[in-house]
Amino acid sequence: MDPRSLLKGLHPLEIKVLLHYAPGEPLDAVRLAAELDYVEGHSNQAQAWLIAKELAAESGRTSKAVYELTPLGRTWLETGTPEERMVAFLQEKGPSAMPALCQAIGMEQKDAGSAFGRLSREGVLSMTPEKLVAVADATKSLRSAALKALLTKAAGAEGGILEESDLNSAEMSLMAEVAKKRGSGDAAFRAAERETVTWTLAPAAAAVSALLREAGVSGEELGAVTQAMLEDGSWKGAAFRSYNIKSRPARLLPGRRNPYVQFLESVKDKLCSLGFEEFDGGLVETEFWNGDALFMPQFHSARDIHDVYYLADPTKAKSIEEPYLSRVAETHENGGSTGSRGWRYGFDREFTKRLVLRSQGTVLSARQLPTAKVPGKYFGIARCFRYDKVDATHLSDFYQTEGIVLGEDVNLKTLLGFLEMFAVEVAGAKEVKYVPGYFPFTEPSVEVHIKHPVLGWFELGGAGIFRPEVTEPLGVSVPVLAWGIGIDRMALMALGLNDLRELFSYDIENVRLRRALVK
Amino acid sequence: MPKIEVDETLFFDLVGRRMEATELEHALETAKAELDQWDRTAPASERVIKIELNDTNRPDLWSTAGIARQLRIKDGGTIPEYGFFSREGDIRPSEFRVVVDESIQKLRPFMAGFVISGKPLGDDMLRDAIQTQEKLCSNFGRKRRSISMGMYRIDLIKWPVSYKGVDPDSVSFVPLQMNEKLTLRRIVAEHPKGKEYGHIIAGSPVYPILMGADGGVLSMAPVINSADIGAVQVGDRDLLVEFTGTDMAAVCLATSIVACDFADAGYEIKPLRVDYAFETPFGRSVTFPYYFQTPASVDSGRVSRLLGDSIGPEQVVEALSVMGVRAEAHGQHIRAWPPEYRDDFIHAVDLVEDVMIGRGMASFRPERPRDFTIGRLSPIESFTRKAKDVMVGLGYQEMIYNYLGSGKDYIERMNIPADDVIRISNPMSENFEYVRPSTLPGLLQSEAVSSKAPYPHRIFEAGKVAFLDDARNYGTSTRQRMGFLCSHQSADYNELAGVVSALLYYMGEEYTVEDSVDPRFLPGRQARILIRGAEVGVFGELHPAVLANWGITMPCAACELDLDSLL
Repeated sequence: MDPRSLLKGLHPLEIKVLLHYAPGEPLDAVRLAAELDYVEGHSNQAQAWLIAKELAAESGRTSKAVYELTPLGRTWLETGTPEERMVAFLQEKGPSAMPALCQAIGMEQKDAGSAFGRLSREGVLSMTPEKLVAVADATKSLRSAALKALLTKAAGAEGGILEESDLNSAEMSLMAEVAKKRGSGDAAFRAAERETVTWTLAPAAAAVSALLREAGVSGEELGAVTQAMLEDGSWKGAAFRSYNIKSRPARLLPGRRNPYVQFLESVKDKLCSLGFEEFDGGLVETEFWNGDALFMPQFHSARDIHDVYYLADPTKAKSIEEPYLSRVAETHENGGSTGSRGWRYGFDREFTKRLVLRSQGTVLSARQLPTAKVPGKYFGIARCFRYDKVDATHLSDFYQTEGIVLGEDVNLKTLLGFLEMFAVEVAGAKEVKYVPGYFPFTEPSVEVHIKHPVLGWFELGGAGIFRPEVTEPLGVSVPVLAWGIGIDRMALMALGLNDLRELFSYDIENVRLRRALVK
Repeated sequence: MPKIEVDETLFFDLVGRRMEATELEHALETAKAELDQWDRTAPASERVIKIELNDTNRPDLWSTAGIARQLRIKDGGTIPEYGFFSREGDIRPSEFRVVVDESIQKLRPFMAGFVISGKPLGDDMLRDAIQTQEKLCSNFGRKRRSISMGMYRIDLIKWPVSYKGVDPDSVSFVPLQMNEKLTLRRIVAEHPKGKEYGHIIAGSPVYPILMGADGGVLSMAPVINSADIGAVQVGDRDLLVEFTGTDMAAVCLATSIVACDFADAGYEIKPLRVDYAFETPFGRSVTFPYYFQTPASVDSGRVSRLLGDSIGPEQVVEALSVMGVRAEAHGQHIRAWPPEYRDDFIHAVDLVEDVMIGRGMASFRPERPRDFTIGRLSPIESFTRKAKDVMVGLGYQEMIYNYLGSGKDYIERMNIPADDVIRISNPMSENFEYVRPSTLPGLLQSEAVSSKAPYPHRIFEAGKVAFLDDARNYGTSTRQRMGFLCSHQSADYNELAGVVSALLYYMGEEYTVEDSVDPRFLPGRQARILIRGAEVGVFGELHPAVLANWGITMPCAACELDLDSLL
């Protein structure tokens, strides 16, 4: 590996070793502790990291026995060994039966038995003919004194650890008796093997060390900039350690907006910038506004049970707004005063009250007409409901983008002008064409097709001039341009998706990982 | 929107010349039609072109001859003359006669027809006629309710034919696709077509029948033809085509459309006289095909205003003639006679559209609007965006969900009563049977499917909810709500309380909390949020029972705020 590329990733613990030692010198924790003032953990880290970078290698491994004072050992040191406590109790209270003795000093019967065995062999305790334990000669126990001394010695050693070399042969044989490898919870010492690893810097380290010297890096550079440093000014003149900027940053789980909602909002903002005011409405509608007010005859096939969702209960609105109901009914029947001949059938005033889930965004346009300003421009992105089997291209509820333009002088050419603006401004189209279209509520009607830079030619939307049978019963006498544009395909493309269902994804991680709309 | 198949050879013969796909596609725009499919790998004699028609008011375009006619005229062809039409004061002589009895007046009073003659019935026109029958009668004729059509072999008919209502149990005949004679009632009950269309007449004491002078049955309209007179085959000469229905103008128009189609294909059309026992909109005795349409009119000023170009009366007349509409100008006033096969000039604006198509879309240059208006978001949209910005600052991720769902998700799993939840009476499936009454089920659904996503989870959604509300005219209310949910090892009431406090602080609201007993939340760890005494939301730790219903094993706390009441 190129030594320069290693340079940035070196930790100060590694740097100091590289600067202090030459390849081949034997290194171990004791030496680093003595010469670099490393605690054992630090020298282990330096060793492991340098070996991982192939700048060092292990050269040898020795192991030795060590004995570590256990918490129980420390308790014995403070409150006495079981033997000491047994003798002390009997001296104070006089001879005692074994069970009572055990209970009094809180000892297991078997432990007490072996303690009694050792002490009686030494002639410290004896058993009376009444089977009571009694003190024979309290001064005789050499073992107790030796154990006490061993415990004291261990307590004085660093970490409560005694190595084999710290012990004479008498101490060694006593240690062998009282230390346990496993289950050391009920022993005074834990016996363990400790490995000492020796290692050396590899020949390759020389080049890295040379580069470090050349760069003037000492390993004494400071890590974090601390509040204390800033307060006392100790940062002045100090060098700060370089970080490895190539390392992978930690993952964050930030708050964020939903990209599909942002897409919808960007369309709203665009329409606002073109002078349109947003309208809104309820999800539940009547057949009146959902179809009748749009001059769709009540027998129209799009008003079938298989196209619109009906409410189960209640099924009908209490009333329909007048004078609109009467005017619309008359217009359907014979054209009323609109100059139309109407649809020539008997308008059903009960059917018109039936409650449905809004099936087309044009409902909101119709609802806006009675209060619309002239000139006026309005739009809405409305959630609509359709009786469709849900799949990659159909949803049971989805957004439709619709709007109207009212004006004394608006006409087909202004309508085409708006469609061209939408095509270019909203959809980013390069080419636009218009073909005659059909919608029940507009005449004339056109469709706008665009050539999208990525999607190619497709139908962006439909538009037209509201029929007088729609506008006049709702009190509007000027021409009204009505348009609807389909933005779902553009949304999918902007989000890098190809299934409409994913727009409304429940998956938290999926939405987390979606990129923001940057273009 | 109907989709039709046209025989490639017949179609281009009728158009007058062949076209390539791009040219055809462009030409079809005149008829508001789209080229759907054209498989040119099949043998020439079997090739069909599939075309989708968008205009539901132009049933004349739903046949090979009809769509070819529109293209032929636009292509420079002359407006066809159909001399066999009778007009008011100019009735064609007829050698065939049908008598309509008063017994049918209340059920299905109108009957019309004509005879095709001159050459044997070709396979192409038979297939087309069957398609026309289906499209006309199902789309335009409202599934045969207002129009149905039949074709019969003249050589088996004894004239005059009578159309009448008869007792369904005493008249019987052998229907198509069957071998035995059945009473009308049994046909309605047992024949496949009876099961499909019988409901149109089943409630009536009499059923409609077309019967020859010798008692031979032609058909039981609108259900099924007889197996003899009503069985038409390729090669038959001299056929009766008839329509019955409930709307005289619609029946008459359908008759005219099919007559013009056969005339265009080179057949001779012979008129049929129908004598009614009662008054009809066109008199007691009508000879079909009958030109019933009345002239439509429009001012050139109106045309110019709507289309945005100055278009003189002569130009209007010319554009209409390109569309096959004869018109005359009297000063600014244009009087137009709908072609025999059309009846869609309901208002003057319908003529304006034909002028637009006749002149061609390319002749209209898009124009920038001149009116100045101020654009703005709705107040609730602006307000919602501000609230959402605060939520993002608080570390929450925005979600967006569908508004339809199941009773299981919206009601059962939430441990709430169904009382206020809007149910759909005709759901597509039980997965989309209810309108969401709250944003919380969506957030819990997210949590339920996202246990593998690194924690913590902090999500929110702003959108509409709707629920039953008897005080309103529609019995329902739609509200703008914002719900948010946090989920992790130590998600609890206190965390949400902090979020609610920060959010409402930034939204400029002072609020208080009161005890709440919402079954979705853990008792004692939930609160109602009140602003100026009115409840605007609720939050707390989700009840473990609710989490268990969703299969969620991570603690969750959530809140829902009614943004409309904060606005």
